[in-house]
Amino acid sequence: MAGANGMNGFWNPYLSPPPSQSRALGIGSVVSVLVLWSLLAVTGLVSPARLPAPWDVVRAFGYLAWNDGESMLFIATLWSVGRLVVAGILVIVIGIPVGILMGASQRINAAISPLVDPFRSAPVVALLPILVMWLGIGEAMKIGFLFTGAVVYLIPMVRDAIQAVPQSYWISARDLGATPWECIRKAVIPMAMPRIADAIIVAFSVMWTYITVAEYVNAKVGLGQLIQNARRFSAWDQVFAGIIVIVALALITYQLMIYIKRRLYPWETQL
Amino acid sequence: MSAQSDSSPQPEAATAVSIELKDIVQEYPASGGGITRVVDGVNLVFERPGINMLLGPSGCGKSTILHMLGGVRPMNAKTPTSGKILIDGVECHDAHDDSVMVFQRYSNRPDLSVFDNVAFPFRLNLWKKRVPEAEWRKRISDMLESVGLADKRNLRPSQLSGGQNQRVALARALVLRPRILLMDEPFGALDAQTREEMQLLLIDLYKERPCLVVFVTHDVTEALVLGDRVIVLSPQPAKIADDFTIDVPRPRSTTWQRSEEALQHEKRILAQLHKAPGKGTVRVTV
Ligand SMILES: Nc1ncnc2c1ncn2[C@@H]1O[C@H](COP(=O)(O)OP(=O)(O)OP(=O)(O)O)[C@@H](O)[C@H]1O
Ligand SMILES: [Mg+2]
Repeated sequence: MAGANGMNGFWNPYLSPPPSQSRALGIGSVVSVLVLWSLLAVTGLVSPARLPAPWDVVRAFGYLAWNDGESMLFIATLWSVGRLVVAGILVIVIGIPVGILMGASQRINAAISPLVDPFRSAPVVALLPILVMWLGIGEAMKIGFLFTGAVVYLIPMVRDAIQAVPQSYWISARDLGATPWECIRKAVIPMAMPRIADAIIVAFSVMWTYITVAEYVNAKVGLGQLIQNARRFSAWDQVFAGIIVIVALALITYQLMIYIKRRLYPWETQL
Repeated sequence: MSAQSDSSPQPEAATAVSIELKDIVQEYPASGGGITRVVDGVNLVFERPGINMLLGPSGCGKSTILHMLGGVRPMNAKTPTSGKILIDGVECHDAHDDSVMVFQRYSNRPDLSVFDNVAFPFRLNLWKKRVPEAEWRKRISDMLESVGLADKRNLRPSQLSGGQNQRVALARALVLRPRILLMDEPFGALDAQTREEMQLLLIDLYKERPCLVVFVTHDVTEALVLGDRVIVLSPQPAKIADDFTIDVPRPRSTTWQRSEEALQHEKRILAQLHKAPGKGTVRVTV
């Protein structure tokens, strides 16, 4: 039992270091990047036109957060989050039932998976012009794009979640008198819920990565538009600030959803 | 079980049942192509409540026969390949509600509490129609009391020991008051002491409400402690190698277990099991 601490367990994927050490390592590497970034800015090794200094980004953030009696950042965030939530609801309401049906019947899966699975590796961004053609350049297109981008990930994940439920639960439920549909509804789906929740979490992460693309075309307001607009004026400090906000929001969404999932399905970790 | 017989308790009348296996043959597609015959013409009759122990070398087809009785069908083969299973003289083709199974690997739902695990069948349409909620709640409370889990009703399976988990599985099966109870090495994964406790529990529960039990085991002592009748299968393909009764009241004392009679029974079982070439565990594919 030697070496629970220190470097002895360095090459050991199963041994976690004390939490304080993990935290120190994480903070350390973020700080190093910030220091390096500051050095590059101070020494003038990279011109501010290519890489804005950290303090410029902070100033830009302040400007976006409050200027001229209004908060551009707040309004943009509201719009982006709004689009994401609407698209997310559609993804859940449409994607989960489809995924469940595919998981519950190999025949339905055989029929639908050729229509869904290829898009997981296809460039969804390339669909944007088509969506513009079909849905115009308004909100429908933006939400449609977020929906398409996320639902093609969610559906296969939900299907796999259903199929991953051990058959023994099905057999046992059948033996106790459940009809096949009751087995799916009362045994398989409840058992698949934690992984279905994972699929929802991934869908939201995917939508955060697509938000800038969705708002690329003709957005009047939104985080993507804010970045797009700043780029047009070569305000790189604002571009950086905008990206950092998106990353932060994506991270908060993720952590929040993970927290909710753990509360809802405390039994999952013990599977 | 008819709709009426269940809402009012009629213990003995409701438990009478007969099972008849007629020339059962089971073949499965073999891994290297072709087919393997697993069960080769088994004839068996069970006519009254009792604990019937089914033994045989590993892989000989015990689970296959038990699953057939429960109507649990593998997806890749017709079961049985030929032959008939009659329950009360009626040929049985599919899962039926006369029998309930208890498996070795507990099938308790990790997401449900002990109570909800046992209540699971009563929330299915089949049982909802038969047993009013007030009655099944009462039945479950009594049953949890009987299996010693009354104070654990709100815990999840992961918070229970292996033995307690099998108590949940047993409770869920017996609370339905089945006429046929099928057990596939239910205590096989438990340590020796817990296994003995579970055997005694089964004896108690059985006394309260006898039914037709078919109990698969590879433990000769278990067969001697529990069985009214012991059926030994030959190595694959399974045929009936021996079939005898033990007419001794339960629980059977350790003194009896060391008696000449018990030793004779043990020898008799082992003689058949040891005939198995390679005991059926090692299979060489050429
Ligand atoms: N669905 C199936 N498809 C193909 N082969 C099967 C199937 N089910 C069982 N078998 C084979 O049939 C044989 C008997 O299996 P079975 O599970 O009935 O044995 P068993 O007597 O219960 O063994 P054990 O003591 O190990 O539990 C085994 O060789 C097994 O590989
Ligand atoms: Mg078996």
